[in-house]
Amino acid sequence: MNAVSKTDKYINKQIRRKKVGGKFTVKKFLEYFFTYLGLLIIAFIFAFPVIWLVLASFSESGSMYTFKGFFPSSYSVDTFVKLFTDTEMYDYPRWFGNTMIIAVCSALLGSLLVILTAYVISRFRFNGRKGIMKLTMVLGMFPSFMAMTAVYLLMTQFDLINQLWGLVLIYSAGAPMGYLTQKGFFDTISNSMYEAARIDGASNFKVFIRITLPIAMPMIIYTLLTSFTWPWSDFILPKLLLKNRDLYTVAVGLMSLGDTEFARFAAGSVFIAVPIIILYFLLVKYMVNGLTAGAVKE
Amino acid sequence: METDNIYHGRPPFFKRVGQWFKAIPHRFNAYWRGVGKKFAGIPKKIAARAHITKTSPKPVKASMFLMGLGQLMQKQIVKGILFLLMFAAYVVYMALAGGRAMYDFFSLGIILANPWLGIKGDNSVVMMLLGILAFILTGFYIAVHLANIRDARRTYEFVARGNPTPNFKQSLGSMFDKYFYVTALVLPVVGVFVFNILPIIFMIFLAFTDYGGEVVTTGALVSWVGFANFKRLFSMSGLGSTFVKILGWNLIWAVMSTALNYFGGLGIALLLNKKIVKAKKIWRAFPVLAYAVPGFITLLAFKFMFSNQGPINYYIEQWGGVGKLFLGVDSKWSARLIGWIVNGWLSVPSSMLLATGILANLNPDLYEAAKIDGASVWTQFVKITLPFVIFATTPVLIGQFMGNFNNFGVFYFLRGGIYCDGYFLASDTDLLINWLYNLSINKNYYSLGAAISIIIFIISAVISLFVYVKSPSYSKEDMYR
Repeated sequence: MNAVSKTDKYINKQIRRKKVGGKFTVKKFLEYFFTYLGLLIIAFIFAFPVIWLVLASFSESGSMYTFKGFFPSSYSVDTFVKLFTDTEMYDYPRWFGNTMIIAVCSALLGSLLVILTAYVISRFRFNGRKGIMKLTMVLGMFPSFMAMTAVYLLMTQFDLINQLWGLVLIYSAGAPMGYLTQKGFFDTISNSMYEAARIDGASNFKVFIRITLPIAMPMIIYTLLTSFTWPWSDFILPKLLLKNRDLYTVAVGLMSLGDTEFARFAAGSVFIAVPIIILYFLLVKYMVNGLTAGAVKE
Repeated sequence: METDNIYHGRPPFFKRVGQWFKAIPHRFNAYWRGVGKKFAGIPKKIAARAHITKTSPKPVKASMFLMGLGQLMQKQIVKGILFLLMFAAYVVYMALAGGRAMYDFFSLGIILANPWLGIKGDNSVVMMLLGILAFILTGFYIAVHLANIRDARRTYEFVARGNPTPNFKQSLGSMFDKYFYVTALVLPVVGVFVFNILPIIFMIFLAFTDYGGEVVTTGALVSWVGFANFKRLFSMSGLGSTFVKILGWNLIWAVMSTALNYFGGLGIALLLNKKIVKAKKIWRAFPVLAYAVPGFITLLAFKFMFSNQGPINYYIEQWGGVGKLFLGVDSKWSARLIGWIVNGWLSVPSSMLLATGILANLNPDLYEAAKIDGASVWTQFVKITLPFVIFATTPVLIGQFMGNFNNFGVFYFLRGGIYCDGYFLASDTDLLINWLYNLSINKNYYSLGAAISIIIFIISAVISLFVYVKSPSYSKEDMYR
């Protein structure tokens, strides 16, 4: 930044201050009023159901029918204790463990495959590249679980029904289909950096490990996050492939709870939503970047 | 003076349609001429291929004959053995299972199950699936074989230029350097083939069989029925009318939901973008909170909220009203409305984040210029913000539209398991994808489900292509550069 632009900025700031410091008119007041009113309404709409769930998870009786409208009649932390101790009918810790295993494994394996695919498609020019891109586009237009029946049959043939890693296999094998976001990101990295490394004699594999991966860190985090949350909250595949009660994931398990177990449902939901919410808030910057990288057509 | 045929810019729409039709014979001729040329060229190509094959050096020929032999002859022992092993694996697979599977694919089984005699019949669908798998594996084998021939030739030429034969370590190194893209893509490609393409091919075939209903429960043999499933969908009976009704609702739903999500997200982003808003991060946190909660939890929570004994009904009764079944069998439009709003709650936050990211890229000079010209806030929005955002997000818009068109979760959770009068195994809020689920996974009408999938695919493909070609991000790619 040079001196001229600095003074420019200073002058601009002065001008702006003059404008803002002007009279506080009715029009301005109304603008403030309606903007903040809108923000408050939005905040309420989005926060209210979540607050309601949290309140419900601290309800004492557990059943929906004792609630006074949105609010439980009395509060306690029993539900959370019950969630982890009363495991005879609903083995929540076990569901949680299963979900964790599936989500972590699929996120790691799936992200690796997506990043590899996106990088290769973006960086290399080879025979069949256009073909692969067109093919994935066409495949993406088929309804996502049109193939469910076939996958189910396939899993029975491979003896992977009631196996957690059968699910991991399906999630991660399907992951490369969504490579476009990541490709959009890699497309924005200029080739000169790679070329410099190549001239220094690094192999393509080394370039990938040493240069691509560090640069792509924000994208990798985004990919990990999204490919973690998908199995974390999916219910169709686990419902289809995990018949055994001990192998339920949290989603399937919570779905099996009725009106009378409402507090348990709320507690279970709060418990699995909290880690994800924390992750999202920590990584919201990456989310915005990731969403934009996939969207903006350069 | 005749001015009819002089245009500035593109001719009017009707003119273009007319020209399109006028050009049909010409295009028809051109197409067949092209095809004819291609066919005329075939003998020449074959001759060229044969010549190359005939004049190939010995190791290359050996590789053509038997995978890995050429490598062995060129003293690349490990590589040759690896190729040979792959060949052996393929032969063993074909002998033990693959050949049989290919044959069964066409016959779809001949032994009928008979529990009285204890005969376990042929399972036609499994045969079909494994048959397709055998063909895919054969395709992979052919690809490897061609790679083996190319490799033998490359090594031969490399050595012929006076270089030493590359040893195994060097070959391995080239896998991570020159051919890194191949190595990197092997796993993804295999995974996608087995878990995406194979099932889709299978379902496409399944749409032309009678696998469903009684055939499934009795374990009878499956047979090919041609287009019978599609005919049933378009017939005037219960199935046909259900299809038409659901399709109509599905299109309305997709348009309405996309509009709500998109403009809702954009609106919030613009509101947050205003200069007078302080503590943007805190305000933005609320939608992000909604975004972070897993979707099924939100949906189940909303179901509880609107349920029979839920809080909404509690307040209605408290204030002297009569409780309503918001999501019951007879509540068509209230259920649809609730679904629409709930879906908005779920999807607006991600649109908002996206719009935030895109608005950050928008050049502020444009607004300064507009302000100097005296444009109102609304004009600025319509003339600057909206075109830019739509330009940047057309692909996402298509994606959102498709996502909403195939939005399974909302009505599965809010109103699953309800079947309405006048609908065949569906409720009046169900989308095609929910109907597909009811038919195939709940009720075993697999072939009908597959036929519906194909129709959904065709609709998706047509809409995506149409919107994409019409969109500014396709036709005016450089506008904002």
